[in-house]
Amino acid sequence: MRQLKIGTSGVRGVVGDAMTPELIVNFACAFGTYCDGGTVVVGRDTRPSSVMLHSAVLAALISTGAQVIDLGVCPTPAVSFGVRSAGAAGGISITGSHNDANWNALKFIGSEGALLNAANSEELLDIYHASAFLLAPWPGLRRPCETTEPVERYVAGLCRAVDSEVIRARRFRVAVDFCNGAATAVGRRVLADLGCSLIPLNDDAGGSFAHAPAPSPDNMRQLAALMRSVDADLGAALNVDGDRIGFVTSDGTALSEELALPLVARHIFRKRPGPVVTNLSTSRMVELVAREHGRDCIRTMVGEGHVMDRALTDRAAVAGEGNGGVGVLPDAPTFDALLTLATVLEAAATEDCDFDALVSRAPRLFIRKAELPCGPDSVYRALDMLRARYADTRPDLSDGIRFDWPDAWLHIRASNTEPLLRVIAEADTEVRADQLFDQALTTARRAVWAHGGRQGA
Amino acid sequence: MRKQLALKISISGVRGVVGDALTPQLITSFAAAFGSYCGAGPIVVGTDTRPSREMVRQAVFAGLLSVGCTPVDLGVIPVPALQLHVIHTGAFGGVCLTASHNPIEWNALKFFGPDGILLRPHEAAELTDLYHQGVFPRVGGTAVQQPRTDTSAIERHRHAVLGALDVEAIRAARLRVAVDCCNGAASVATPAFLSALGCQATAINADPDQPFPHDPEPVPEHMGDLGQAVRESGADIGFIQDADADRLAIAGADGNPLGEEVTLALVVRHLTLAHPGPVVVNISTSMMLDDVCRETRSQLYRTRVGEINVVERMLEIGAAIGGEGNGGVIAPGINACRDSFVGMGYVLEGMARNRASIADLRAAIPAYSIVKERIETRPRDVPQALRRFEAACAGAALDFTDGVKASWPDHWLQARASNTEPIVRVVAEAPSDSQARDLVAMARTAIEGAG
Repeated sequence: MRQLKIGTSGVRGVVGDAMTPELIVNFACAFGTYCDGGTVVVGRDTRPSSVMLHSAVLAALISTGAQVIDLGVCPTPAVSFGVRSAGAAGGISITGSHNDANWNALKFIGSEGALLNAANSEELLDIYHASAFLLAPWPGLRRPCETTEPVERYVAGLCRAVDSEVIRARRFRVAVDFCNGAATAVGRRVLADLGCSLIPLNDDAGGSFAHAPAPSPDNMRQLAALMRSVDADLGAALNVDGDRIGFVTSDGTALSEELALPLVARHIFRKRPGPVVTNLSTSRMVELVAREHGRDCIRTMVGEGHVMDRALTDRAAVAGEGNGGVGVLPDAPTFDALLTLATVLEAAATEDCDFDALVSRAPRLFIRKAELPCGPDSVYRALDMLRARYADTRPDLSDGIRFDWPDAWLHIRASNTEPLLRVIAEADTEVRADQLFDQALTTARRAVWAHGGRQGA
Repeated sequence: MRKQLALKISISGVRGVVGDALTPQLITSFAAAFGSYCGAGPIVVGTDTRPSREMVRQAVFAGLLSVGCTPVDLGVIPVPALQLHVIHTGAFGGVCLTASHNPIEWNALKFFGPDGILLRPHEAAELTDLYHQGVFPRVGGTAVQQPRTDTSAIERHRHAVLGALDVEAIRAARLRVAVDCCNGAASVATPAFLSALGCQATAINADPDQPFPHDPEPVPEHMGDLGQAVRESGADIGFIQDADADRLAIAGADGNPLGEEVTLALVVRHLTLAHPGPVVVNISTSMMLDDVCRETRSQLYRTRVGEINVVERMLEIGAAIGGEGNGGVIAPGINACRDSFVGMGYVLEGMARNRASIADLRAAIPAYSIVKERIETRPRDVPQALRRFEAACAGAALDFTDGVKASWPDHWLQARASNTEPIVRVVAEAPSDSQARDLVAMARTAIEGAG
């Protein structure tokens, strides 16, 4: 199967396969048209293929008459900041984000600095499918403006968004795994400005990725080993475009990426009003934190676009997903790993405790996640079989299928970004989590295999 | 009638109007096809100064990178310098982003093989096939290369050209030269070249970031600025280059244009007087070349129009000099392509060695009147039009090397389909201007037909 996904998360695929420069040119032409020839901010991550995508994006945007502001290599939240500070019509972050190194993608950012919401994405897709692109005659072709100034201001703004005095006073020692990504240079600056001493890992931006970029415990083994051998307050793993983060404790325990959101929410709820918005697949831990502070926890479909859209409408204090993506509003309408890290440092500093203590004060639930290769042709059959398996429970069908019990929940859905079925179970106890997870996984596997077998016959 | 087509894919490359048919999609795919054709290796990329250059350059980079090539960016550069650089650096090929003498709304990709020579017709046909097939060997992951920048090409090219000239003699003559670079690709290279030859140079329109001050084709009606510069600076000679610096036209010390056909005649006479030998020009080039070759006892060969056709024949028979009447001088010993720097160098050498003014050198060659015209014609109507033209030329000696060329004892008339635009080009040359114009009018009547 050709590896390509076009949807609300933008366009994403394997370079060398379906992700051709012609496809990128078409999509970027569609976005330039969507932005009506206005200003478009562009940034990219450190993958080798990002340079190819970058050229295709620039050619396309220039051809629509857009004024390109080119930030070079920078994290996605810096592109979002650039869009807002320039009053631009939109932005494109060229990054495969948490996907493996051979993948790449375009993330489309609207004028508010958030990823395009469902309605905006639909309009963009309509333009793309109609191939009705603006085509500026030569006097309307504008030379791109290359600048790092918005990135500098992004760093300064990030440090102003937290109480940097109180953080500096603590002189934290932080180990950061940059995953050779686009947040490396910016991350160094932020930590220096916050008076932290940095123990860097995989900080050769542009080098090949030392491990898969998603900040899950599996991918944090290297960081955990480092934490066991150095004296640091906490370890943090960033993904390649700096929108997701995972944490490791001082003794080298890699924490579930689900913890980032409750850790931040717990602190932000003390600072400002508003609910928390998260998706249907995210741990209940944040729900428990919200209840503790008398706040609402609003659930949306999976995807930063959906979550942030709702967060902006409902004036949320914080928004995020269980994958380690957290946005602190109103500072940034986008997931931002460095802002998440700064906020966690601020929490530890203001509570006058260390990071491990902060973790122990957050609620504890047990979550299990798996991904099952599953083509689009088998998704519905798998979901049907699961529905039959738990026929006595009323499911939530707003994104895949979700079952809720007093002590546990189970969510199975098709990935937005890859041909995968994602299975997530969470419970109050480890035993219950394992049991529910194994049951669901067995049923889903049977469905996928049965379907594959029938096709093969 | 339908609007004129804004795209032409031919042996001269891909040429089109930006904001119309020359889209980033088309450029990306063509670059990917060219990268596939050359193989995954370094591909030299340079551009003239058109405002659309950044769009075109980025699209070419995307296409080349997608098939594993390494774009080597030379920036704004004369096309002959790019061609030489392909050979000097052992690149797998080269692409120049220039619509040459076409107006500013056009841009184009010119493709060069690993020998630095424009793709030959059968190679260009293969490339076009690859493009139409649309299936390219894409690469991913770490096989995607990073572009490089190389700023040494202009200097290498200057050294190569200077190496073939009698620099001592030219320096000693301390010539005063005015030059119009058309704010084109030669804007940086030409002043440095002339100063290396000890000339006192007055360069106008030498800002690559400004738009073309006039239509870039180096023909008399675009040489007003140059004439004024020659007169104001008291120059001995004036030069004008087109946007990609492959073509050269000359103005005399009075500022008046000599006509672009004179450039090649002057250079050929200068070289073959000293070393008689075969000369190759295209079928549309002035009969001044026949006179010059007769005088210097050199054999003259004529080919189809198209730079590559001339170059191919020159390499085949070992001609040291040749070119095109449009101001394109080719000296394969230096650079197997039209090179305005080679043209300037030899003209200056001729003046210096002979202690002659440009007017003296011009006077040694007979003068004719040459008239060129373009007649808009749909490609499908061209064969019929040419048959009518042929019938109208009854009594003349006919030559079908390219279109139809009718020759009489002291004048000739030719009609052929353009390689670059949907037009028929008509050229007439005769002893008097009125006679040449009458010939063109006759051709127009025949080509446009009764309707």
